[in-house]
Amino acid sequence: MSHCEGQQNQPIAPSAERDEWMNRASVALFAILWTASGLRAQSDPPNVPILSGAFAFIGSTTAGATTYQPILAPVLVVPIGDKWLIESRADIQGFFAREGGTTGPYNGQFLASLDYLQVDYILNAHLTITAGRFLTPFNFYNERISALWIANLEDSPIIFPIGTRTSASSNGGMLRGVAISRPAWSLNYTAYFSATSTTENLQSGRAAGGRAGIFIPRLGLEVGGSYQRFLQNGDSNQSGAYVVWEPRQIPLDVRGEYAHSPGGKGYWLEGAYRLASSRTVSGPVSRLQVVARVQQFFKGNPAPEDLLPSADVNQFDFGLNYYLPHDVRLNGSYGRAYSSAGNFNVWNFAVTYRFVFPAWPGEKQ
Amino acid sequence: MRRFSALFLGIALLTCSLRLVSRAQTPATQQNTGKENKNDAEEGEKRFRENCGRCHMPPESLSPREVKAVVRHMRVRAMLTAEDERLILKYLAP
Repeated sequence: MSHCEGQQNQPIAPSAERDEWMNRASVALFAILWTASGLRAQSDPPNVPILSGAFAFIGSTTAGATTYQPILAPVLVVPIGDKWLIESRADIQGFFAREGGTTGPYNGQFLASLDYLQVDYILNAHLTITAGRFLTPFNFYNERISALWIANLEDSPIIFPIGTRTSASSNGGMLRGVAISRPAWSLNYTAYFSATSTTENLQSGRAAGGRAGIFIPRLGLEVGGSYQRFLQNGDSNQSGAYVVWEPRQIPLDVRGEYAHSPGGKGYWLEGAYRLASSRTVSGPVSRLQVVARVQQFFKGNPAPEDLLPSADVNQFDFGLNYYLPHDVRLNGSYGRAYSSAGNFNVWNFAVTYRFVFPAWPGEKQ
Repeated sequence: MRRFSALFLGIALLTCSLRLVSRAQTPATQQNTGKENKNDAEEGEKRFRENCGRCHMPPESLSPREVKAVVRHMRVRAMLTAEDERLILKYLAP
């Protein structure tokens, strides 16, 4: 006979049974009332996970070779309490190109990678601790505007591989936050360490680095600098600087980066102007954005794994973005690259649909 | 035992009532809070434009259920301050 069975077989007095029931009812009522009294005055929005991201179809012709890429980039964001956040972005894409580059039938393959899967703990107003896989915070392009639905031009800058090897993502830990916050300015920072990983879809390089930036809201100006020590394939230093300027009076965005590494150095500068008198959409024309970018790259001693051009390159790009209703964007651009290895044209066309919806069922509000 | 249950229930009801009363607002407090909320929402809109517009166009619509996750995501990613997070939340989900 088990212990439980023994307990079940014991006679229970009616009054004891009633007391037991009363106890349970009291606790249940207390729990319900406590929750309800808390909910009554609840004014904060609920902590609901969201599924966001974008779907894009990109057609590109570079030096006569045409490729097509359907891409799905889902982002999952799970807030837990007031301090924790789990966030992740994957990249699932097809790549279709002609067998012989410019001739032959199209062949394709599907690729998937995990851009980030990180746990953030907001320790206080100045410090957030991040662990897992995260986008390498070198300058600002990779972390802030490389997402499909954000980048004004489909091609990343030539200097993008500087400071972001080996996969633009890092596996390790990061400290970040706003060190000083004043009404007139704020100082933000990141410091991180990454371990080597050669696991498929989760590659990362062994590196340590950091970034600091000053943001002046009145001017809409942010300037900053980055440093990275790459700790494999012979240690090397990479450094960079960036500027983001968004004047309040006109819908103009100016962005630029400079980066230096043993493999080469260069810069890009981009201006994007919406045909509107302000930053709000006021008619069909105000949905149109004109984009121009210039960039220069000067070759150093690049290794094949640096993913940098093997010759100096000057390139300009001109693009048009049209923001349709329902978060659909059409993008077309033309670029011309001048290089001692040969000049060539770059044509891009893209349709991007950006989505966001709750990842948890609940009441519609 | 029965006395204990009655006592527990009494304390529970009293605690919850006090909690409700402490959260309840007088008309004067409500008026002040309304004004504060309006100021917060205006400041939140300003910070939304200053911070979010630095990188991207805002999504066309966000439901109140999505807002908290989106703003927390942006706090970490775009280095928003705790105050930015609070005010932008007030603006997006007043």
